[in-house]
Amino acid sequence: MTIGREEVLHVAKLAELAVSETELDRLVEQMNRIVDYVAQLDEVRSDRVPDAFLPGPPTVQLREDVEGHMPLVRPPAALAPEFEEGFFVVPRHGAMEDT
Amino acid sequence: MSPATQKESVRAADIAREAGKRLRAAQSLNATLDWSQELLDAEATRVDGMKRRTLLNGMPLALKDNIVTVEQPTTCASRILEGYRSPYNATVVDRLRAAGAVIAVKANMDEFAMGSSTEHSAYGRVKHPLDPERVPGGSSGGSAALVAAGIVPAALGSETGGSVRQPASFCGVVGIKPSYGRVSRYGLVAFGSSLDCISVFGRTVQDAGLVLSAMSGHDPLDATTLDRPPLPPPKVAADLRGLTVGVPVEYFPPDLHPGVAGGVRRTIERVQELGAEVREVSLPHSMYAVPTYYIIAPAEAAANLARYDGVRYGQRRIGPEGDIRSLYRATRGQGFGPEVQRRILVGTYVLSAGYYDAYYRKAQQVRALIADDFQRAFASGVDLLLTPTTPTPAFKAGEKTEDPVAMYLADIFVCPINLAGLPALSLPVGRSEGLPVGAQLIAPAFEEDRLLAAAAAVERAVDPAAEVR
Repeated sequence: MTIGREEVLHVAKLAELAVSETELDRLVEQMNRIVDYVAQLDEVRSDRVPDAFLPGPPTVQLREDVEGHMPLVRPPAALAPEFEEGFFVVPRHGAMEDT
Repeated sequence: MSPATQKESVRAADIAREAGKRLRAAQSLNATLDWSQELLDAEATRVDGMKRRTLLNGMPLALKDNIVTVEQPTTCASRILEGYRSPYNATVVDRLRAAGAVIAVKANMDEFAMGSSTEHSAYGRVKHPLDPERVPGGSSGGSAALVAAGIVPAALGSETGGSVRQPASFCGVVGIKPSYGRVSRYGLVAFGSSLDCISVFGRTVQDAGLVLSAMSGHDPLDATTLDRPPLPPPKVAADLRGLTVGVPVEYFPPDLHPGVAGGVRRTIERVQELGAEVREVSLPHSMYAVPTYYIIAPAEAAANLARYDGVRYGQRRIGPEGDIRSLYRATRGQGFGPEVQRRILVGTYVLSAGYYDAYYRKAQQVRALIADDFQRAFASGVDLLLTPTTPTPAFKAGEKTEDPVAMYLADIFVCPINLAGLPALSLPVGRSEGLPVGAQLIAPAFEEDRLLAAAAAVERAVDPAAEVR
């Protein structure tokens, strides 16, 4: 399996990651190295695989589904880069469309 | 400063002053990210005001900087989280403070816990306390270095694929990874959610075991924790009579470093002298643990790190196009370092249409086979497994940074245990040309008490300062 520049750029787009032209060649080389390495799993026979493995306790204890009160240790304004007149400031709604 | 050796009359205020002095002296290690004498003193005042004698009794602790704290920033050693302050404490932080711990310092680490050398921190690499040219291991290298240098008696790290046992081995300290589900993950910044586990470093099994005991137990805020009371404080087994210790042949490859092989062979002899029966076993799928891990962990990381987009979390950067996608890409492209970016890309690739079955589904199948090998070994009458912790002692800085696969192979003996969700521990068992060598003990799930008791007995029988070959 060989991963080319275009495929790395496509995956970077899926991952919402800006990759600079200067880093691209190194990323292509290293991703190929990693993907070639993990491909050795093809050697493992998987015709008699046990059930999917889930780590941890055999049963999961869910807590009561009741509304609780968790007081904030600092005001909402301290939790965001921009906070005005009681609102968190985020990019304009119109800016969320694909260009 | 350890409660195991501490006199009742020692005040936390005195411990805090001494801790501050040691932290100032340790600056050259680059192992700390945030601490202040003011916070240390405030913690000490709180502990000295506690009405009863507590389990940890003023013990100063370092926390890996991916465990959230209200009083100090939590950066995960990443530019993207620079200055981030959590609005809540991790469950382990609240429990350790209630048990009398002094939260002393946030420790340097590989960015988002991705790395095996603590060279991938946005705040510079951590140096090995015995040789500044070498790495302390990773990703919890700051915590390991602080314990090894005698700055704090114990520290928290986190494991996804061996990030406490591997640096414990490199630095010559004890590193305990509990069973998945023994300790709450609430407040541990998520990397690989089916693998992540808050774990402990200590200068002794007793110190590390006390910290584990204080922070273990069911947490309603983490549904994957075991619904049982916390672990009791650790006991020391007088000997190992009646125990069968398995030695997996696959963990002793021909190219194993001679010093590591010598240290582990000597430990096997001590285990026999302590009365245990030692038997060879086979874990045939463990040799596939690293490739399995490097599919599953990046896949989970790609999903978990999607939240750092400059809107939900992360220092916002405006991209050249000025729209929201450009904002996401600029924030993530400038905020994440190269190793994190590489893992997000690999994770996204193995989960993408057309490759999911070939990589991710296959890796899940092999994970089940790896876990099944361990279950079969324990079902055959083996109580504990004994292996080397790492294939070599600490390597030089820069030696593996250009080849990610060479770096990943430093975790070859530790990451199978994370995939299987088991408890395990690394114990210093000797020195090879002055560098520490570790042996690993592995127990069945939720049998930490047996693991710690046996490890304490082995600890008394081996000389960690003795040269091995």
